[in-house]
Amino acid sequence: MSGTEDKAAEEGSVMPSRRTVLVLGAAAASTVVTIRPALAQTAGSVLNCEIPVPGPHAAGSHIARDGSLVPPGTPGAAPPLARPLRGEEARMLLRGSTPPGVQPGSSQAYANYIRRLQSGMSGFTCYASLQMPR
Amino acid sequence: MRHSLSLSIGPVAFRVGSAWRAPIDALASLYAGYATPEGGACDFTVRLEPETMWRRWVRPSVAIRGDYILPDAAPLPLGMGLLAAEMGMNLQMALGQKRYLLLHAASVEKDGRALILTGESGAGKSTLAALLGERGWRLMGDEFALLDMATGALRAFPRAISLKNGAISVMEREVIPTRFGPRIENTPKGTIRHLRPQAEAIARMDEPARPALILFPRFGEAAAARGVGQAEVFMRLTQASTNYVALGRAGFGALTGLVGAVPSAAIDYPDTDAALDLVETLWKAAA
Amino acid sequence: MAAIRYIADAQEAVTVVELDGLSALFHAPSGITHIVAPPAPEILAALREGPADAAELLRRLRRHYEIEGDALEARLEELAQAGLVRRA
Repeated sequence: MSGTEDKAAEEGSVMPSRRTVLVLGAAAASTVVTIRPALAQTAGSVLNCEIPVPGPHAAGSHIARDGSLVPPGTPGAAPPLARPLRGEEARMLLRGSTPPGVQPGSSQAYANYIRRLQSGMSGFTCYASLQMPR
Repeated sequence: MRHSLSLSIGPVAFRVGSAWRAPIDALASLYAGYATPEGGACDFTVRLEPETMWRRWVRPSVAIRGDYILPDAAPLPLGMGLLAAEMGMNLQMALGQKRYLLLHAASVEKDGRALILTGESGAGKSTLAALLGERGWRLMGDEFALLDMATGALRAFPRAISLKNGAISVMEREVIPTRFGPRIENTPKGTIRHLRPQAEAIARMDEPARPALILFPRFGEAAAARGVGQAEVFMRLTQASTNYVALGRAGFGALTGLVGAVPSAAIDYPDTDAALDLVETLWKAAA
Repeated sequence: MAAIRYIADAQEAVTVVELDGLSALFHAPSGITHIVAPPAPEILAALREGPADAAELLRRLRRHYEIEGDALEARLEELAQAGLVRRA
């Protein structure tokens, strides 16, 4: 199985003796794609996952338009959601639409909250599962 | 646990324990004819437990626990206990499988050679694999394909097939009722009904097969097939694998070996008959 | 100001497999896989001769190739962000 690998990894295999053209490309071009772990995609697809907004660490906080947590009563902030978002609802929010039961004026705040989730926060694994290309 | 069942699925042994009897009875009925692990040793344990004491009495709901857990897992109603057991087994594989490169893919076998079907959720790989499994192919699995990193062979993992929504009636027209589990309505993925693979697929679950063709099916467009570059196949398979990154160099060697050795194509299909025709045509071309 | 000098990992740290004109790279020190297009593999190979700035690297590449374009520094930064080369 490692046949290709060994051959290609031999010293100088990327340095042909014949002169060939090497295009350095434009500054904005991209020549490297890094493989990210895809565990979350399948975990999300095999599991019923949900995202509380906000998570238990910030119970009672409201959500500003940029997704940050603010005290209740902050002008323009969205209230906490009564129940956690299911995967499909979170996906709708991230696409810019409003799932049933969510105030249209608040959906951007919720979408931005989800985008700001970090590893270790409640809902992150679910969020990560929505991020994978499909 | 008060109730439990141990099952061998290909090279993997599970023990499913439950605080309730019903999910275990449903599982035993669905997996009739499967072997129990020799010596009783299991690779993974799934536990179906009451979410909280309070919920247990007021509105029973099943928390999916086990050797590996995800913190965001939401509980399911007790009526979906069988689904919880299935999700629990999937989760153990997705989080804990280290011996095989695990691909989120369906696979079927003919003449010792394996066809791998992979694609996004809803692409129809389960339905296609289930249909092929009734039309002369051996079903190796509808959810996970296990690539043996030492040999490059594919191992069978023929769990019950998870049919969703429209696929249920497609298969109900093909298969005798006794091979189906109960119809489970209103799940997070709509209606689900499980289907036990043919007896031959269960009897031959320990037979590996040599990967021979990789297809990326997509439902909804006019029938078409197009080649996919090796780099794209590699990229897509890394994203279809739960443990590619964790396996390090061994995973890299196994996956590049697979991609380098096996032809592949993306196929569009408007209906299952068209898909089956495409599969047979491409299979002959790959032979 | 002195030009930025870059350094690449040794040959044995990176496993390369060709995939239809692109290359899959397994970078052992990080355990991360990258898919790279030309000129990335050629730049990595040239950098293995030793640390170099963009000008020196361009001289090395010219020994083997006709060079088109002038985005070598952008390519080096891209490889640095991926962890495939480091600033020396």
